[in-house]
Amino acid sequence: MFAERSLRATGRGRRGTNRLVFVLCLAAGALALLPLVLVLFYLLTEGLKAWSPAFLVSPPGGITSKSGGAMNAIVGTLEMTGLGLAIAAPVGLAVALYVTEYREGRLAIAVRTAVDLVAGVPSIVIGLFVYSLVVVTMGHFSGLAGAIALSLVMLPIIARTSEEMFKIVPRRLREGTMALAMPRWRAIVAVYIPTVASGIVTGIVLAVARAVGETAPLLFTALGSNFVVTDLNRPMSALPLYMFQNALNIGFPAARERAWAAALTLVAMVLIFNVLGRWLANRNGLEGR
Amino acid sequence: MTANAAPARPETQASLIRRRRPNLGDPLLAWGVRILSWLALAAIIGMLLDTARNAIGLLEHTSAWDFLTGTLWQPASTVYGALPFIYGTAVTSLLALLIAVPLALGAALLVNEYLPPRAATPVAYGIELLAAVPSVVYGFWGVIVLVPVLRSVQQAVAGSALGAISVFSGPVAGPSYFAAGVILAIMILPIVTSVARDAMKATPRLQRDGALALGATHWETIRHVVLPFARGGIFAGVILGLSRAIGETIAVLFVIGNQPQINASIFAPGYSLPSVIASEFAEANQPFHPEALIGLGVILFLLSFAVNLAARTVVGRFEKRAGGADVR
Repeated sequence: MFAERSLRATGRGRRGTNRLVFVLCLAAGALALLPLVLVLFYLLTEGLKAWSPAFLVSPPGGITSKSGGAMNAIVGTLEMTGLGLAIAAPVGLAVALYVTEYREGRLAIAVRTAVDLVAGVPSIVIGLFVYSLVVVTMGHFSGLAGAIALSLVMLPIIARTSEEMFKIVPRRLREGTMALAMPRWRAIVAVYIPTVASGIVTGIVLAVARAVGETAPLLFTALGSNFVVTDLNRPMSALPLYMFQNALNIGFPAARERAWAAALTLVAMVLIFNVLGRWLANRNGLEGR
Repeated sequence: MTANAAPARPETQASLIRRRRPNLGDPLLAWGVRILSWLALAAIIGMLLDTARNAIGLLEHTSAWDFLTGTLWQPASTVYGALPFIYGTAVTSLLALLIAVPLALGAALLVNEYLPPRAATPVAYGIELLAAVPSVVYGFWGVIVLVPVLRSVQQAVAGSALGAISVFSGPVAGPSYFAAGVILAIMILPIVTSVARDAMKATPRLQRDGALALGATHWETIRHVVLPFARGGIFAGVILGLSRAIGETIAVLFVIGNQPQINASIFAPGYSLPSVIASEFAEANQPFHPEALIGLGVILFLLSFAVNLAARTVVGRFEKRAGGADVR
């Protein structure tokens, strides 16, 4: 009888612990989601108050002036991200091919290690790298330096995803190209790349989503500008930079409003690329991270 | 006829070889790939060397030891000590881990073990979306929403009996190591959660069923089967989170208070390696100020390099054991 009671008691204890852990996990999940809910809530309430379509196409005003938009930042983001991608996509693809298809011994390992190194470097350090190499050489801050910094943010992501994709080209397909005596370049260009194209595109989209939101690599490369600049040889603004500079002047209501509007625009852009990338990744059975 | 056919064979073969057009594509693509890859390699090495050379300029002014152990940072009087920033980065990153790891593990267990797929997918997706929000947005949101909330939390703790311990002592300003730790925790939560989830997912079905069949409760199964199995992967996720926390710049800059000091209290304002580079570099015009900031960048680089190396080692060991499960 005593034994039975103590058994039941332990049973209740074990079941109690079981339930307690479930409740704790539930609480952890809720707490983990809380910041997302809060960030989105503030973005939508404060951001929508300050946002208007005119925000996207008006040149900026002064810090205190009510009017003024983010056209300089939008133009800069499009131009620098575009040029950065035009550098990072071919180089990333080349690196992936070099490492998987050509595999030239130590050099391939060196290339891969270097790209992995950049992947692990904090983005502010990428800014310092590009400052030391490009800004010091050119003698001034420029949109070009900003684009190079963004290309370094994107390069490891594109190289890594493409590499993973080339690795999963089916063996049968490889043997097929050999059986047809295809030269290697035709096998790569006409068979391998089309087979894994959607995976490569996924990597590119996720890389763009990352680059569009980066502030730190642009701080002392593109620097920022209050004018709508298209000349890559001059300092240039970008949406995160624009938001950063307005957010620092939190004391001015107009600057604060512009920061919220920029935040909303920025998050919308990043989320669109992210959701697109994840959707592509899921469709291709890739992990979208 | 037969006499003719015999020599014809090698002839056809030879003409076949002759007829094949010269293969230009192969060298073209190979060299294109090579040159682009080598360019990338050269650019990366060039940047490393240039940055190192810029940082070495500082040694004319301050010795490496004095720089690493100096507790004063006063550009106006050209005194450069890196310790306040190293300390700030260490404290905020550890705080972030302390807050994020339990939450991430709980959330990972919730999604993987408890919730039905229909509820698990949106929760997992929501947590991963946290990683998509740019850090400048976190920083701004942190100043406006988080810091005021945390100020009252900090005041309550500092005012209670805990305030007697120097770690929790006042005065409370709002922006602090603690506020930075909370923001960082939010930012690294997704990576820790998702790596932990991947590791837990790899638990063999048989072991799990075995534990349940022996009468273990769900929690006991988790405790004795899932967690031990996923330990390596969880550790890898934690190190990856640490690596993110160390390098995070803009969000920290907004909420850490930007005071180059070393203070035992986590409620005091401080500074971190990346955030001081971000806020001072563009306007650094004192002698050796840019060099000192690049020197801080080198410390940051080495720090994150070491952490990434550790992460890779752990991930590598874990991958071997899990039979190639990808936990990158």
